[in-house]
Amino acid sequence: MDYIDYYKILDLKKDASTDDIKKAYRKLARKHHPDLNPDNEEANKKFQQINEANEVLSDPEKRKKYDKYGKDWQHADQLDAQQQQQKQQQSQGAGYGGGGYSSGYGGEDFSDFFSSMFGGGGGRSSRNSPFKGQDYNADLQLNLIDAYTTHKQTLTVNGKQVRITISAGVENGQKIKLPAYGAPGVNNGPPGDLFIKFNIADDPKFKRKGNDIYIQEDIDLYTAVLGGEKIVETLNGKVKLKVPEGTQPDASLRLKGKGFPLYKKENQFGDLYIKWQVKIPTNINTEQKELFEKLSKL
Amino acid sequence: MENNLISIKDVCAHHQVEINFIQSLEDFGLIQTKIVKKTTFLDTDELSKLERYLRLSQDLEINLEGLHAVSHLLNQLQEVQKELNSLKNELNYYKQLH
Repeated sequence: MDYIDYYKILDLKKDASTDDIKKAYRKLARKHHPDLNPDNEEANKKFQQINEANEVLSDPEKRKKYDKYGKDWQHADQLDAQQQQQKQQQSQGAGYGGGGYSSGYGGEDFSDFFSSMFGGGGGRSSRNSPFKGQDYNADLQLNLIDAYTTHKQTLTVNGKQVRITISAGVENGQKIKLPAYGAPGVNNGPPGDLFIKFNIADDPKFKRKGNDIYIQEDIDLYTAVLGGEKIVETLNGKVKLKVPEGTQPDASLRLKGKGFPLYKKENQFGDLYIKWQVKIPTNINTEQKELFEKLSKL
Repeated sequence: MENNLISIKDVCAHHQVEINFIQSLEDFGLIQTKIVKKTTFLDTDELSKLERYLRLSQDLEINLEGLHAVSHLLNQLQEVQKELNSLKNELNYYKQLH
């Protein structure tokens, strides 16, 4: 547990007045307030530090104790006891207690340093009212095929099992909110929410762009020139396709409604685009070579 | 509480906030209340919004005009983040091709 320089956090000198502290806190809080920096863990942490520094420095008693012991805060109780013994007083100082502060925006309580020096979890004098519990965030890894169908999955979040339905068509990076699956509320406040972010892994065959799917299929030179049929695997089974005569390399074909399902829109799908990759024969034998030469002279 | 609705009276008692504050937020179009059988309620999504405005108002001393501006900018930020995510996914598609 390291010593925390609260003056440095608020960019203040040791002789800062109450007004200076208030101004410095407001200035930094406006910049790092979690409600103004959604999904920004760094800002959230910074705000907690600012809050903690303000909690100590804006309270004359806490500030006095903090200034008195400084880096020797770990021995504060011991030093107090010694002094009080000298004064032949029976009671011992230290420990201000505090009443269950919770930030309400996904933050944690005060640092170990704070708890060790001031006891409890802090306590903001201005707000001991009921407050919504902490929001939880979780990441869920899926592959593209998982995201293609609506299915259920069980997650373990903070030791609790949560069964969720994942709707087909969910996007990479998309977040969903599960109300009231966060931490319990403070002072009878409502529980926080659970936010789940989906990370969808790339698929080696099917490339997704929005709700459309793109694939590449090989056809041989003869099928490209003469035309033919090709069985192609799509996300919902195999389809037999007609390859027209004279198909050019990189020519594309669109299969309407064979792409990815639209999120929470039943029976609506994007399209599937197939790009033909014409494979030029290699290692041809003498007879084939002669035939190609004949063809070239026709 | 009625299903997902919480009465304004309970919210005010819970958060120790004046009903005028909630009415002003509604006047600014920042939250929406519902009236059921002559009682005014907030649904849970609106409660989250209200709590956010309360925090901003108490922590940063932002007035109603300021909250209105913040709300507008946060909505814009959310839209931009969605667009960014969609563009990232599209960029990833092109990266996979090469």
